[in-house]
Amino acid sequence: MENREKLKKMLEEVFLLQPGEFRFDLRRDEVETWDSFGVVSLAVGIQEIFGYHCTPAEAAGIKSVGDLIRLLTAKGFDFEH
Amino acid sequence: MTTLSELEVQGDCQRLRQCWETSATFAFLPEKLSVDRGWIEQGLSRLPDSMRQGHYVLLTSGTTGAPKLVVGQRARSEQLAAMLHRQQEGEPVEETVVVLPLSYSYAFVNQWLWSYCHQRRLSLTPGLKDPAGLQRVLLASRQAMICLVGVQVPLLASYFQGQSFPGIIRVHFAGGRFPQEQLPVIRALFPRATIFNNYGCAEALPRLTLRKAEAAAEANDIGCPLPGVELATNEATELQFRSPYGAVGLIEAGSFSPLPSAAWVKTGDLAQPTEHGSWRLLGRSSEVFKRHGEKISLAMLMTTINGTWAGQAVFYRERDAQGEEGHVLVLAPTPTAEQLQGILLSLRRSHGRAHWPLRIEAVAELPLLPNGKPDAQGAAILPGKTRLWNQRI
Repeated sequence: MENREKLKKMLEEVFLLQPGEFRFDLRRDEVETWDSFGVVSLAVGIQEIFGYHCTPAEAAGIKSVGDLIRLLTAKGFDFEH
Repeated sequence: MTTLSELEVQGDCQRLRQCWETSATFAFLPEKLSVDRGWIEQGLSRLPDSMRQGHYVLLTSGTTGAPKLVVGQRARSEQLAAMLHRQQEGEPVEETVVVLPLSYSYAFVNQWLWSYCHQRRLSLTPGLKDPAGLQRVLLASRQAMICLVGVQVPLLASYFQGQSFPGIIRVHFAGGRFPQEQLPVIRALFPRATIFNNYGCAEALPRLTLRKAEAAAEANDIGCPLPGVELATNEATELQFRSPYGAVGLIEAGSFSPLPSAAWVKTGDLAQPTEHGSWRLLGRSSEVFKRHGEKISLAMLMTTINGTWAGQAVFYRERDAQGEEGHVLVLAPTPTAEQLQGILLSLRRSHGRAHWPLRIEAVAELPLLPNGKPDAQGAAILPGKTRLWNQRI
């Protein structure tokens, strides 16, 4: 599965997003389930799906799906293909 | 002391009637014992001399799984059967169809003792172990009453899809959560029946409250206390009762404890009175806990789940990776992707993340306790479960 698809599926699960609700330009303030516990779940999800261990500061600093893609791209993950 | 196994009354309750009519106290035990004979004999030997006449003893495992012997006084239970007959509008009922183990206090008092006291026909069936046999009995029933537990409704709906049993005119539920959300299914199966939510516990032997299905909209509303029964809560909202019909003693962990009439006895549930005089259950004492500082009620969560999921469901407790108390939801059978989405959406709409289960798992069928309730501990260790969703926390 491509990284973009893996990321979408993970975020849908972590934040209980409904089909059609996910967008790659989605912001944290648009998702009420992206709360402080959601940040913890997100960090566990990133570790589980991409094998990258987010620091608490990194996880808390992710304010949008775009931020998450930029973080993972910087760690060598490809979201272009 | 005489001990009578349910195995000995299959097809004919003559032995049970004899025991009831003989003054010596007797024990009526399930077909499958959760304890060994030695445990029973040792327990019965603890019965005080004053209770060796005119009483009876039932074995219960309850939802905690800890076995205990419950001691009832026959005269009190006969008074309860008479009172239930009035409160449950039992006069037109000519027959009662038994689908639960008869040694289960609910079936024993509501059905066997009621039929004995009021000289009504008792139709023993193998229950849902033999759907075709049960179907024959239900189709042949006239002016009959049936006692069920909520978890049986999806099975009845699946076995008897598109059928109805107009011979059943009273349907009682007890022994677990009332299946309020499945009333349309129950009414389709039993179109002429008045449906009742009964609430009680083994120590009450067994009834404390009653309400007609349509008298409340929420499953957790257990109705008002039966005449003579008193309910109250303590500071921890633990529901307690005093009943002139309740058990007079308990034998557990090898010792006998009297239950004096004046004593308040805990039911094991948390509750609060409603503004209408009825009572609302908040969950089992063991099913309410703190998670991330929030009070989690598995009963309230189950209400949310049952609002969108008609199959079986049970929670078991588990600690998360941080050591915090949590809970896992097990569904049966495996929901479709759409059904799972519906469940997740209902959780998201109704509850904060602390209330969400750690995981959602699925199995073909949930393990059940002898009393027909889903076995949470059994579900926890069941092999071959499919993980449908994970909160990742």
